[in-house]
Amino acid sequence: MAIVEFRDVSRVYRNGDHEQRALDHVNLSLEEGKFIVVLGPSGAGKSTLLNLLGGLDSPTEGTILVNGKDISTLTPNELAEYRAASVGFVFQSYNLIPTLTVVENVALVKEIAPNPLGSHDMLKAVGLEDHIHQFPSELSGGEQQRVSIARALAKNPHILLCDEPTGALDSETGVMVLKLLLSMARDLGKTIIIVTHNQNIAKMADVVIRVKNGKIRSCEEQEHPLSVEEVDW
Amino acid sequence: MLLKKLFRTLWRYKAQFISMIIMVALGVGVFLGFNVEWYSLEVNTGEIYKATGFADFRIYSDKGFTVEDLEAVKAIDGVEDATRFLSMDVSVQGDTDTLALAVSENMKVSGILLMEGEEYNPEDTEGFWLSDSYAKANGIRVGDPLTLSYQAITVSGKVKGLVKSSEFLICLPEGTNQMMPDYSSYGYVYISPAMLDRAVPAVLRMITGEMYHQINVKSSLDKAAFVEAVDRALGTTRLVLAKEDTISWAEARGEVEEGKTMASILPVLFLAIAILTMVTTMHRITASEKTQIGTLKALGFRDRRILVHYSAYALCIGILGTLLGIGIGYWLGWFIMNPDGAMATYIDMPSWTLHAPAFTWIVIIAINLFLTLIGFLSVRKMLSGTAADALRPYTPKRMKHLRFEETKGFKKLGFGTKWNLRDCVRHKARSFMTLFGVLGCMVLLVGGLGMKDTMDAFLNVFYEQAINYKTRVNLDTEHVTADEAKQLAEELRGDWSASRAVQIGDKGYSLEIYSLKHDKVRFADTDMKIIPLEDGGAYICSRIAKEYRLGIGDTISFAPYDSTEHYTVPVAGVLDSMTEGIFMTEGFAEKIGIPFTVSSIYTDETEIPENGKILNKQSKQSIMDSFDTFMDLMNKMIWLLVAAAVILGIVVLYNLGVMSYTERYREMATLKVVGFKDSKIGRLLISQNLWLTAVGTVLGAAAGYAVLRYLLEALAAEYELKLVLGPVTWIVSILVTFGVSLLVGILVARKNRHIDMVAALKTEE
Repeated sequence: MAIVEFRDVSRVYRNGDHEQRALDHVNLSLEEGKFIVVLGPSGAGKSTLLNLLGGLDSPTEGTILVNGKDISTLTPNELAEYRAASVGFVFQSYNLIPTLTVVENVALVKEIAPNPLGSHDMLKAVGLEDHIHQFPSELSGGEQQRVSIARALAKNPHILLCDEPTGALDSETGVMVLKLLLSMARDLGKTIIIVTHNQNIAKMADVVIRVKNGKIRSCEEQEHPLSVEEVDW
Repeated sequence: MLLKKLFRTLWRYKAQFISMIIMVALGVGVFLGFNVEWYSLEVNTGEIYKATGFADFRIYSDKGFTVEDLEAVKAIDGVEDATRFLSMDVSVQGDTDTLALAVSENMKVSGILLMEGEEYNPEDTEGFWLSDSYAKANGIRVGDPLTLSYQAITVSGKVKGLVKSSEFLICLPEGTNQMMPDYSSYGYVYISPAMLDRAVPAVLRMITGEMYHQINVKSSLDKAAFVEAVDRALGTTRLVLAKEDTISWAEARGEVEEGKTMASILPVLFLAIAILTMVTTMHRITASEKTQIGTLKALGFRDRRILVHYSAYALCIGILGTLLGIGIGYWLGWFIMNPDGAMATYIDMPSWTLHAPAFTWIVIIAINLFLTLIGFLSVRKMLSGTAADALRPYTPKRMKHLRFEETKGFKKLGFGTKWNLRDCVRHKARSFMTLFGVLGCMVLLVGGLGMKDTMDAFLNVFYEQAINYKTRVNLDTEHVTADEAKQLAEELRGDWSASRAVQIGDKGYSLEIYSLKHDKVRFADTDMKIIPLEDGGAYICSRIAKEYRLGIGDTISFAPYDSTEHYTVPVAGVLDSMTEGIFMTEGFAEKIGIPFTVSSIYTDETEIPENGKILNKQSKQSIMDSFDTFMDLMNKMIWLLVAAAVILGIVVLYNLGVMSYTERYREMATLKVVGFKDSKIGRLLISQNLWLTAVGTVLGAAAGYAVLRYLLEALAAEYELKLVLGPVTWIVSILVTFGVSLLVGILVARKNRHIDMVAALKTEE
């Protein structure tokens, strides 16, 4: 069953007379529970695709359906409710609240998510149960990204959206974080969409989407995706 | 190229720069304005004192002074010049107005200043030199006829000149409770000694005695030496008042001192807020410019050039703010000190030029240098270390656990509360500035509105309650006997009083003796409660009580002028009073055997039949009308203070709000991405503002109370005021302060809608 559908979606940015078509009549259908990697060079439109799906931005034309619901016409408040209930985000730069402790950063989602998971459980799952009262600035980059994953999953979303989640980490930590991300998301049955330009990550994906100049160049299912350990990092 | 960058950066941080410019402008403006006010008053009154030869001393005698007396005074070593002087209230024929008729034999001492018409001529026998303010209020012009009368004597002539006089700089009728001049009903007029001779021929003088009851003296002697010399020269103790004891000098000096006091409180508050705003904002701006500073350094720009470039921002702000502030300052000075302004209703000066004391310019230059130094130091900190260090973005302080986080209560708090609490502690300077801004706003409101409450209560007690009569009738003390006066009082069903000049040590006071059978005059104690006067002793005003450290049960000694008697009496009570003096009942005065002459009757009658014994009449309404002028003046000042409080609150809080918003932009973008609605994020921002406002309001209430107390202490020499702060003042002050905070919070929170989540989260931490 398709959890996400893009129907003829375009996103055009206008700056005076200049017009930039970040996404150009994109059509896409993604199955639930899959691990999807969006690949493409800088400026290809992959982050725009993620932002539209995450409700951070709205399309200029077309329709985006998530679980059958059109999110392209939602008001800012409805989009906020959609983000609170349906999507979790993991960013390259963690984006934790510096004035909240680790556990408070995760527990934060209880304020808005309709079916949140236990923050302590999530932190235990990412191996940070001993750091729950520390502030983000007291943690390493890898640890901060694990907090960010715990926070994203604590909302119990349908879809986990990750924008270069390992981009700011060294390769060893990056692999560890990726492994954690995949195992947790799969255990919880979440659909994961990762935007990256790292070809190696694509080897692990169920579906690989290639984007260029705002258009979908290909959307391939991989019959035998590799495990994290099998990929030559 | 750097100049272009300077202008573009100014534009980029326009909200902060405009805030800083406004704060500097307000700081400089209020500082300059208040100092211009008192200094202009000092300079302009000084000019009229000088131009008219304002007398240093006044010698009084009930019997009048002869030419020989005058010569004896002139012969005293240290006396430069002297004149016999007469001032008496006369009626304007065909009108109910009263004029103080003044005659001086020598206009070089306390003379007049011609504003329009003919020069004063001592030989003129039909000319009046009339107060120009009285003439203006009554539509009288040069050349108009005028007839004055005093009992059976009338004198007619033409208005030959319109003048101002230092003796009548503050023109209040004697022996009344009037606070403000009212030129529509009371003024002054000068005639020549020749005209006086014509009006009161020598034959009549044989009955009236010497006409001149006063000698005005120019002398550099100190008061004690002068009094001693006068007593020796004239052979008896005389009432001598130094210029400091006259209304014209003391009230004007009082205004100057009041201005100085005000200038030492409010401007300091504004300047402190301006400087603190500058320190906080410049630090934030240079912090956010750190990578640009690093880039310039990495490109090869010398530290000195970068320092000059960034110091130029502070200098620009200082110069622009100062220029605006000078405009505001002079406007403020002009607002109070102009010929049609508030002060002109009180002090009748010929010239209203504005002057700023020299030190204000030194302070303003020092402020600009200091502001530049703030910019310099902010950027120097960023430049310390290598170019690579400078290139790294500014990192805010690391979060540390706070002590109170261990408490159970803290753990139970919601995330928003924790977020805001930690943010306040993390950004102490910003939080402190917010508190200070709120505190300043509250101080101005409590101070301004509290002053109004205090004055309202004062006026209510002293005029609404203490004046329980409709008409005050002043008697001609030289032509009325005690029995006649008492009989007239009985006919009018009124109370009466007698007044004597006395001295305690070498200082002159008024002794007021009252007969209060009809409850027409009342007295208030130091708690502003009306109390009855009893026969057990004398009552003193709180100024005397304070000066001589006297209380109930102590004794006080005084000596009437023109008498060798001394009286030592117990103090039966301390009163808050308009006049600085000693009060007692008729019964007690008779008991101690002090002679007196009834001088005023207080009655509810409004139609008083003409009587040769009556000097003049004053209705309660005319006194109350003069309060309206006073209160108008006061209300204008209070509205200015309230406006200043609101501007200060909005500018400081908006600047800090924008700063807080910028610093937490990324955090708010994160919350937004996670799924928080704009309204919820807005509430978080507003709630922080409101907490700080609550704390600032409490501190500001205490500080406002303290400032008001200090002001009243400073005014104690002029008014016996009891601090009153009504519930409405508290409610309005708190509501306005919270209103300002909420308004600014909403304005800043509205910006949430425009947070670019994608861009914010892509930037490096």
